[in-house]
Amino acid sequence: MNLSTKSRYGLMALANLLNQDCCCSVKKISEAEHISSDYLEKIFSKLKKAGILKVERGACGGYSINGDPKKITLSKVVNALEKAEFTCPDFCTCQSKSVWQKIQSGFGYVLSSITLDQLSNFKNKSIYLDYAASTPVDSEVLATMLPYFSQNYSGNTMSLHKYGNSASQIVESCRQTFADILKVKSSEIIFTSSATESNNTVLKGVAFANKSKGKHIIISSIEHDCVLNSAKWLETQGFEISQISVDKFGLLNLDELKKTIRPDTILVSIIHGNNEIGTIQDLASIGQICHDRGVYFHTDASQSFTKTPINLSKLNIDLLTASSHKIYGPKGSALLYIKTGTKITPLLHGGGHEFGFRSSTVNLPAIVGFTKAAEIAIKNFDQEKEKLTKIRDYLINNILKTIPDSHLNGHPTKRLFNNINISFDRVEGESLLLELDFFGIAASTGSACSSMSLEPSHVLLATGLKSEQAHGSLRFSLGRFSTKAEADYLLEVLPQVINKFRALSPFKG
Amino acid sequence: MYSKKVFEHFRNPHNFGSMDNPTVVGQVGNLACGDVMKLYLKIAKNKQGQDFIKDIKFETLGCAAAIATSSVVTDLTKGKTLTEALKITNKDVVKALDDLPTIKIHCSLLAIDALTEAIYSFYKKTNQPISADFEQKHNRIINCQTRLKH
Repeated sequence: MNLSTKSRYGLMALANLLNQDCCCSVKKISEAEHISSDYLEKIFSKLKKAGILKVERGACGGYSINGDPKKITLSKVVNALEKAEFTCPDFCTCQSKSVWQKIQSGFGYVLSSITLDQLSNFKNKSIYLDYAASTPVDSEVLATMLPYFSQNYSGNTMSLHKYGNSASQIVESCRQTFADILKVKSSEIIFTSSATESNNTVLKGVAFANKSKGKHIIISSIEHDCVLNSAKWLETQGFEISQISVDKFGLLNLDELKKTIRPDTILVSIIHGNNEIGTIQDLASIGQICHDRGVYFHTDASQSFTKTPINLSKLNIDLLTASSHKIYGPKGSALLYIKTGTKITPLLHGGGHEFGFRSSTVNLPAIVGFTKAAEIAIKNFDQEKEKLTKIRDYLINNILKTIPDSHLNGHPTKRLFNNINISFDRVEGESLLLELDFFGIAASTGSACSSMSLEPSHVLLATGLKSEQAHGSLRFSLGRFSTKAEADYLLEVLPQVINKFRALSPFKG
Repeated sequence: MYSKKVFEHFRNPHNFGSMDNPTVVGQVGNLACGDVMKLYLKIAKNKQGQDFIKDIKFETLGCAAAIATSSVVTDLTKGKTLTEALKITNKDVVKALDDLPTIKIHCSLLAIDALTEAIYSFYKKTNQPISADFEQKHNRIINCQTRLKH
């Protein structure tokens, strides 16, 4: 066998070269890739001899790729650098010869199927900082889900045969798990397909079931679009919506809430942990205010569930939304807690699943996955909170310190342990996002330019930001697989990216 | 969502930065909307005695489409006479970028507006006659700007 570091270094250096704007000196690449320049010089001269590289003269002197990188395969490169042979000599007739022949042909097949162009597009860094948008499914969650796609659990939970029974038993045990976590009765938990569905069910279901009492609904000015747009739609149906303002940290104005509740108010819906700025509301105080006035209180806990303890036995909450794909569970699964006695009309009518609150054959594997994800998150809560709070504060402090004219959005301490949201003056979020993507960093922005609406984030505007500050905001959301090394990489890249666009801007600091 | 061309101009914009002693400057857009474009023009006479864009530079605060359209407008106009430059439309800009997403088309208009404004102020500065058509174009841009500010 014969395959050495020559090939590996050769490919590393070529990938680096392809990512340069023009040709490049051996010295520059050897420094970037930490390869000795003498060794690299030898590798490059072999590649030049093979016609893969050519020498460029002039101010920007050095090597460049000779020809179209889309047409040069890795096998050409490896063959130029060394004799990559896995077979026995021709005269050999040993029993293992066919094994080596197969390896040789497989080896050749792989190398000839990848071009230099593809190699240069394999991002060496890939850092996901958008966990608040969605999380990857935990491998343990996936393994737990898989058996539930099989025939043993193929029944409809409403069927009376054994297949239906076994599916039904599993769903009930999942329901019990969530009831235990939230400290409620299992009959108060219903499974839905998404937090959007849960929130729509609450807004529309409570509105239509209680319209004889009144048609006034209260939300905050920083709700998720699914609450905000449901409320807007209800306005077209003759309901009246009031939005309670927040302070500059995103905390709800409780006095305003007290003053806004009227005899005909039927529902108060306030987001718990905000998805954009991470501010966590005081559920106990809001619940008390609503309870004292006999108004239903719903909270959207999609972002906060398992990230901050929620004990419903001690809180005056009538309805609560939680979601699976924010906590390393599968997409397409969520829950709605409905306190016994709450008057609510279902959104989906049909066979009467989920105690009649949500007809639809239940999605068993997704519910099992959601449940497992919640169990893991609760089990790891202390550890994850400690680790991510540290990384979060490390990033916030260093970004604010190293990048001038940057401002933290949201509350400094009453915030989700994975949320970072910062505005940068004189830059625009979409361009930052795309440039960060080139560095392999995935983030999110409150800028209008990245949305379909051309309006900047209503949440950031509600905290008193000017439009231009909202346009220049970035959200980094951490997750289970985030590391300090990733944070350091972001701290290395972000100042360069901000500087690049500030240099382009007509406004100077 | 963006074409390869847009990404090229966005990542490595042409003719960006400020200019010392420009002949005229055209600035359009609004901070509240997130897009502001500033074009610097150096105008000189060519051999035929016509005014032409000897040098052009831009500074833009905005999204990838805003930056790419600014960059491509400098490419399309550099070396052209003012009469030729005024004939460039936002369709030409979109075409030069191998298309833009529909929601970003207004960015291409912004780049053309900045160019129009720069040339308009040059005509004013040098007391050159301004056609009714050109005056109308200028008024539309100004109206749009004032409307945005409120």
